[in-house]
Amino acid sequence: MNHNWILLFLIMTSTVFISGCWNQKELNELAIISAMAIDKNEDGKYVKTIQLVNPVNVAGGLQGGGSGQSPTVTVYTAMGDSVLEAHFHATSKVSRRLYHGHANLIVISEELATEEGIIDILDAFERDPEIRMTSRVVIAHHTKAGDLLKSLTAIDKIPAEKVNGTIHTTERARGESMEVNLQDVVTTLTSAGKETVISGFSLKGDIQQGKKIENIQQSELDTTIESDGLAIFKEGKLVDWYQGEMSRGVVWILDKIQQTDVILDREGQENILTYTVLRQKTRVSADTTNDLPVLTVRVRAEGDIREVRSQIDLTDPYEILDIEKELEKEIKKQLENTVIRTQQNKSDIFGFGEVVRRSDPKKWKKMKNDWNDTYFPNLKVNVKVEAFIRRSGNRTNSYLSDMEQ
Amino acid sequence: MFSFLKRKNQKNDRKIQEINNQNQSNNRPPNLIESSLSKNLEVIKQKTGNSSDIIIRPLKIGHNSQIKIAILYVKGMVDNQSVQDFVIDSIMNNQNLSEKLIPQEVLEILIEDVVAVGGIKVVSDWEKLLTALMSGETITLIDGISKGVCASTQGGQRRSVQESTTDVSIRGSKEAFNESIETNTAMVRRIINNTDLWVESINIGKITKTEVSIMYINGIAKNEIIEEVRKRLKGIDIDGILESGYIEQLIEDQTNTTFPTIYHSERPDTVAGNLLEGKIAIFVNGTPFVLLVPALFIDFFQSAEDYYERFDIATAIRFLRTVIFFISLVGPAIYIAATTFHQEMIPTELAIIIAAQRESVPFPAFIEALIMEITFEILREAGIRMPKAMGSTISIVGALVIGQAAIQAGIVSPAMVIVVSLTAIASFATPSYAVAISARLVRFIFMVSAATFGFYGIILVFIMLIVHLCSLRSFGVPYMSPLAPFIREEAGDTIFRRPIWAYKKRPRLISGQNRVSQGEDQKPQPPRTRIMKNTTNVEKGEPNES
Repeated sequence: MNHNWILLFLIMTSTVFISGCWNQKELNELAIISAMAIDKNEDGKYVKTIQLVNPVNVAGGLQGGGSGQSPTVTVYTAMGDSVLEAHFHATSKVSRRLYHGHANLIVISEELATEEGIIDILDAFERDPEIRMTSRVVIAHHTKAGDLLKSLTAIDKIPAEKVNGTIHTTERARGESMEVNLQDVVTTLTSAGKETVISGFSLKGDIQQGKKIENIQQSELDTTIESDGLAIFKEGKLVDWYQGEMSRGVVWILDKIQQTDVILDREGQENILTYTVLRQKTRVSADTTNDLPVLTVRVRAEGDIREVRSQIDLTDPYEILDIEKELEKEIKKQLENTVIRTQQNKSDIFGFGEVVRRSDPKKWKKMKNDWNDTYFPNLKVNVKVEAFIRRSGNRTNSYLSDMEQ
Repeated sequence: MFSFLKRKNQKNDRKIQEINNQNQSNNRPPNLIESSLSKNLEVIKQKTGNSSDIIIRPLKIGHNSQIKIAILYVKGMVDNQSVQDFVIDSIMNNQNLSEKLIPQEVLEILIEDVVAVGGIKVVSDWEKLLTALMSGETITLIDGISKGVCASTQGGQRRSVQESTTDVSIRGSKEAFNESIETNTAMVRRIINNTDLWVESINIGKITKTEVSIMYINGIAKNEIIEEVRKRLKGIDIDGILESGYIEQLIEDQTNTTFPTIYHSERPDTVAGNLLEGKIAIFVNGTPFVLLVPALFIDFFQSAEDYYERFDIATAIRFLRTVIFFISLVGPAIYIAATTFHQEMIPTELAIIIAAQRESVPFPAFIEALIMEITFEILREAGIRMPKAMGSTISIVGALVIGQAAIQAGIVSPAMVIVVSLTAIASFATPSYAVAISARLVRFIFMVSAATFGFYGIILVFIMLIVHLCSLRSFGVPYMSPLAPFIREEAGDTIFRRPIWAYKKRPRLISGQNRVSQGEDQKPQPPRTRIMKNTTNVEKGEPNES
């Protein structure tokens, strides 16, 4: 009996010493980082910007801390020859221990991504046990990455939350941006059959104005940050920006569309009908019988008609079939445009290489090394779209048709 | 210093021994009752120190009242009505006793004809006579006879059968045991009307001579366990038994544990239910708490009501209780671990809110939790001991101190108050107070380990706790059964409660050979025929208008 207890005690004690990283730190001794940004300055040094949460100002109302008096976040900037050095320099500016556990946004500047690429800088993020691999990554478009963190935002008190929320909502409601996290970026960087796509974010207005608390004390903000297109990477370097329908095409082929609108021209009138896709499924398949694989993108979309600006007779099933045909044509056109432009960019962001690998691994091995430059741009891609109109909202025919009679 | 204390103690011990010796030498009566009444009365007076509550009523009966007898009883211990009507009155008014008699005849007449009380016995040695007297029987001594007649006239003021205060249920019998052992055993017998319900009694306690009964259902209870209970009870050699807690502490399997290995209940239906499972009940005179052995860990999470409600509801409630027990065990520990080690596990918004609340708190989370827990324990203890009239004061002071002032003063954070109060409420929601106290103690161990090693520490202590629980036995039965060792057919009555009709067998480790508890096909079913079917009479018959 006694021996067992001693043994148990020893085993338990030993586990204490072999355990991994643990460290006691009270919540109020931490500087909670909500977002990080990486820029590069003229001297070629990395500039790391960290956005720290001021808990009392965020929680508001509690213990007399008003959100009106001081900003919800504080931003510090530090420079260094490497990302980690910049980080160490940042610690000398903050009284508390920098804590990355809740940092869920990493902003990379457009300039850095274009010129140097993102491959070199991500290791520091991936290696740190505190930084989450689920942190969202965005590229600052037309602005410095650091400036994106400095601007205060309305509704969402923490700017990082606003960025994440906006990307999330845009992806769900419009399909024009994509939530990409650190894990995804690293995976696509290392994968031969798929290239990286990262959402862009831009700052509208004057950054000096955006830093001030007065900016969010008005109904219309002078300076805002908003979701702005998709950054297309080739081997870790930013090569192109897609906007609007072009970026939606990427999201669509990647089968991440949850809801989006397609606007249709009809009978010579422009933008006469809006169709909302509510469910869709996109499948990509490869035919590798020939030397050059043939890829087929099959889209099946279901949705409602949500806006009609003419006297289309929606009670007529043939009319509906007709609209469906045109929708299919429109979607097909948009997707094909995206594919063509991407082929010109020579960057397989759709993961077509992966599809080929799955259908014919042997052939893929041969093509792997020249895929982006030789094979991908010359691929024949068929787009087949099926669109279905399920409902037409609360009305069938528009009141416009009643007015004519 | 220590040796001085020791010497003093030794001196005291010696003194006590001397007193005992004196008492024994002076008061030791001859073993047998003498024939002279006056001498006997003298002995009783001397033996009881001429206690004023012992009533000696001398009488003279027989022809010319030449035979002296004496009636003795203890004031308050007897039922005055029956002493008056069935002993004193009967003796004085009996025709047979006024004739010419010799003492031997008086004794016979007394026993056979006169004393109109159910339990009557004749004793000849002092030991038995005095015990009978002290337990509320009425003694009749006759001059010239070296025997005493004991009539059971126990009575006097006892608390009536009332509703249980510690084991309340909404559905089910409302009556609870009281302090009288006769009432208590009778209450169980009223539920189990079976000759196989056996009761054995012994007196425990050198001085108190408390009556202790064990009750079991012959044929269901395991003989080995009954024998073990008997052996352990007989082994008790102690001055006094004041409550069943004394017995519990003297017969439990293992003492170095905070977990109770003997169940106790105030409810006759709970005791009856456990007896039917093959358990053994130990009744102690003077307390409403009846012990039940062997006790399993899961017993402490079950209430009588579980079996009265339908199984789905009972199962849901048992799940809730499991959660409650976990909260009361590790509630503050998880909070401490999450806020001081694993901040990444808290959702961002919540982490920020807690950080904001903690901004002005000067203590680490552990100290903060300790302050709150101890404050709460103080309030709880004060609330129990305080006169009822002061109860409202406690609640006001408690609510203000804990709820308002501590937060406003910035000593604790509001989140901590929520955690501690949730834990406190959870510890009250555990059905058994005994296991709730254990959880209360273990909670502090969890808090310390959480403060030193975070969740890792919580898991370590948790493993130790489980190992400890699995090592416990209650009268030889593994404490964690039927979970560990896992017994599949009985696991349905743990955190689940299967339907009554699925209880085909009694617990294997507790009950004896006879394990079948119900017939086949006890599951109720709708009738085969349609009761609502229209009968021809109703269809054709005209309404009876006459």
